[in-house]
Amino acid sequence: MSVESTARKVLAGDRLSGEDALGLYVDAPTSLLGRLADTIRARKHPSGLVTYIIDRNVNYTNVCVARCSFCAFYRPVGADDGYVLGFEELFRKIDETLAVGGVQLLLQGGHNPDLPLEWYEELFGAIKARYPEFKLHALSPPELLHLSRLSQHPVPVVVDRLLQAGLDSVPGGGAEILVDRVRRRLHCDSKATADEWLSVMRAVHRAGLRSTATMMFGSVERLDERVEHLYRLRDLQDETGGFTAFIAWSYQPPNTELGGAEATGVDYLRTLALARIVLDNFDNVQASWVTQGGKVGQLSLTYGANDMGSVMIEENVVRAAGAEHCMDEAEIVRNIEDAGFVPKRRNMLYDVLGDPLFRSRAIPRRTELDVARATGDTTVPAELSRYPARSRSGKAQRAFDGS
Amino acid sequence: MVPMGEELAAVTGKIADGTALDEQDVRLLVGTRDLLALGTAADDARRRRHADRVSFVQVLDVPMDTAMVEEPLPDQAGEIRVTGRPESVAAAVSAVRAVVARAGAVPVTGFTLADLQGVSGHEAGRLGDALAELRDAGLAVVTEAVVEKLTNPEPVFEVLRESGLTLGCLTLGDAVGETAVPLLRRIATWDSVATVCRSVAPLSRVEPTPPTTGYSDLRQVALARLLVDNIDSIQVDWTRHGPKLAQVALTVGADDVDAVPAVWPDGLGQRRSPREEVRRNIVAAGFVAVRRNGCFEVLDSPDGAARE
Ligand code: SF4
Repeated sequence: MSVESTARKVLAGDRLSGEDALGLYVDAPTSLLGRLADTIRARKHPSGLVTYIIDRNVNYTNVCVARCSFCAFYRPVGADDGYVLGFEELFRKIDETLAVGGVQLLLQGGHNPDLPLEWYEELFGAIKARYPEFKLHALSPPELLHLSRLSQHPVPVVVDRLLQAGLDSVPGGGAEILVDRVRRRLHCDSKATADEWLSVMRAVHRAGLRSTATMMFGSVERLDERVEHLYRLRDLQDETGGFTAFIAWSYQPPNTELGGAEATGVDYLRTLALARIVLDNFDNVQASWVTQGGKVGQLSLTYGANDMGSVMIEENVVRAAGAEHCMDEAEIVRNIEDAGFVPKRRNMLYDVLGDPLFRSRAIPRRTELDVARATGDTTVPAELSRYPARSRSGKAQRAFDGS
Repeated sequence: MVPMGEELAAVTGKIADGTALDEQDVRLLVGTRDLLALGTAADDARRRRHADRVSFVQVLDVPMDTAMVEEPLPDQAGEIRVTGRPESVAAAVSAVRAVVARAGAVPVTGFTLADLQGVSGHEAGRLGDALAELRDAGLAVVTEAVVEKLTNPEPVFEVLRESGLTLGCLTLGDAVGETAVPLLRRIATWDSVATVCRSVAPLSRVEPTPPTTGYSDLRQVALARLLVDNIDSIQVDWTRHGPKLAQVALTVGADDVDAVPAVWPDGLGQRRSPREEVRRNIVAAGFVAVRRNGCFEVLDSPDGAARE
């Protein structure tokens, strides 16, 4: 089918086949992809609102046994600079988040064999006891799968226990590209195959939780595999309706084992636009200014995005790969308004919470994002001694703490 | 195919036909918030001039005060640019001589027109003498002229033309948004500019506070292509604006990439060289990369584009 007839199909609101979508992706001029995506965005969000959330992206541990080849963040078990954040550190981060109007933690981390399911339950319970209204958007599907394997409980049981402990919603991380050929090449098939990632999300949605869906593109996948990824998400969304939003970001090569070059800004905008076109059952598409920088991040609003993501306060994973972009609430709002939209704060469910907060109360400007831990801080949280370790180094650490 | 406002469609139709725009057309272009429509019209305009070619130049900057060119000369250099403000014509000439002595066949460029006017006491005659001396010393091109500083440019262009030198580009100093539009329109009224200058750099090389946004930058690039029809190229600065913005700007009217470094950090092989990176970005934006030198002469086309 020609690009023109595929474009007409899109404008008529018809669904595209995978073949149509690939043809459009490969052959359509960037401006046409943008116009199609922008038309769909305007239909779904006719009031011209662009939302954002004030939250904090905390990585509770960088110790990970998965060793994905595209990851610059993880440290192997026993590494000197491996860390686990303590409950008190996390409480302090929540206090700081609340002080700038934040409403949730986005809590994700490595697959640390020395953190059992009970540690998470206790942590979530403690957070909810102190901050009953504060939301926990936590643990991507591969982390949930890791906990299922570690605890020997099925995923639905793990999800249910965490839900009881205080989990509010699940981030869509770890999807990378939902094609097993790609996952094998990225050395991330063992953390979750494509089917496993989707089945964890199915369990999450069945438990009544909402989640986001993500895509990390630009590593080793082919264009048809990017398209396949979108269709796998669209199919699950047809089935469960549990995804609130889609977020794409480009693979960040610096400091990774895989190396290579980053996808370009135009690649990003084309991919974002295609996602908006294919994912006709997703209401919200986020801009990834953290990987693209503020300028291309803002331009995402012309290529299908209706959400500027998070005023992050803290970020560790993308920074580990060398990208350091910071936008505080005032800067995000300035970019939204400059692009001709109306900025609104939201929560994870995309309920509008209100107008920009910095306009009604004094919030200090922020020019850089915090990190999980200061470099060189090797503190081991006291509460870890309450949980059995599985790794040799973890056991040695616990024995040392107990002596 | 995709709906765009009727009035705007009429203006973009005029641009496509080569019909001159009237005041109302210009107001519509300048006032639209439809960045995609503006960008598409600018892209059409740039394709009529340059088809799918995007040129780039790899530049080795040499500070005026040292005039030291590293040896061996980086083999990717397509231009050696003397940077900094000269204190006198003699200082400028001596820096150019020192650089030219080591430049081989690579064109040596340098200075802003305003700085050269400054050291010539703002007298046309003395400027002409200074330009002639610089040309004789081996200068190929005056790097740039800041548009805001050109109050009565036509006589200056004439002096430049007579000297046999050309101007690398006309740059907007710090004008963004609404203040940039009258400047772009002024450039379009300069009859003789095309005889001495090949490109306009519409994005300021100095980041204002607060910084510009992606929207405002792309809008400025697109408007430059649509409003300035007497200069061939619209230029973006790879180093100053970064690969992502520079690349996206190519889709809304820019056709030339300046300031691609000629040297790069140790440890990054040829595949990660600036040349490969800029080429990859140009191709990913749907264009064909053409390497040029500081005199806008085509050196080669890594992707096989026909020579101009
Ligand atoms: S991406 Fe996640 S699972 Fe993979 S190595 Fe990094 S921290 Fe571990």
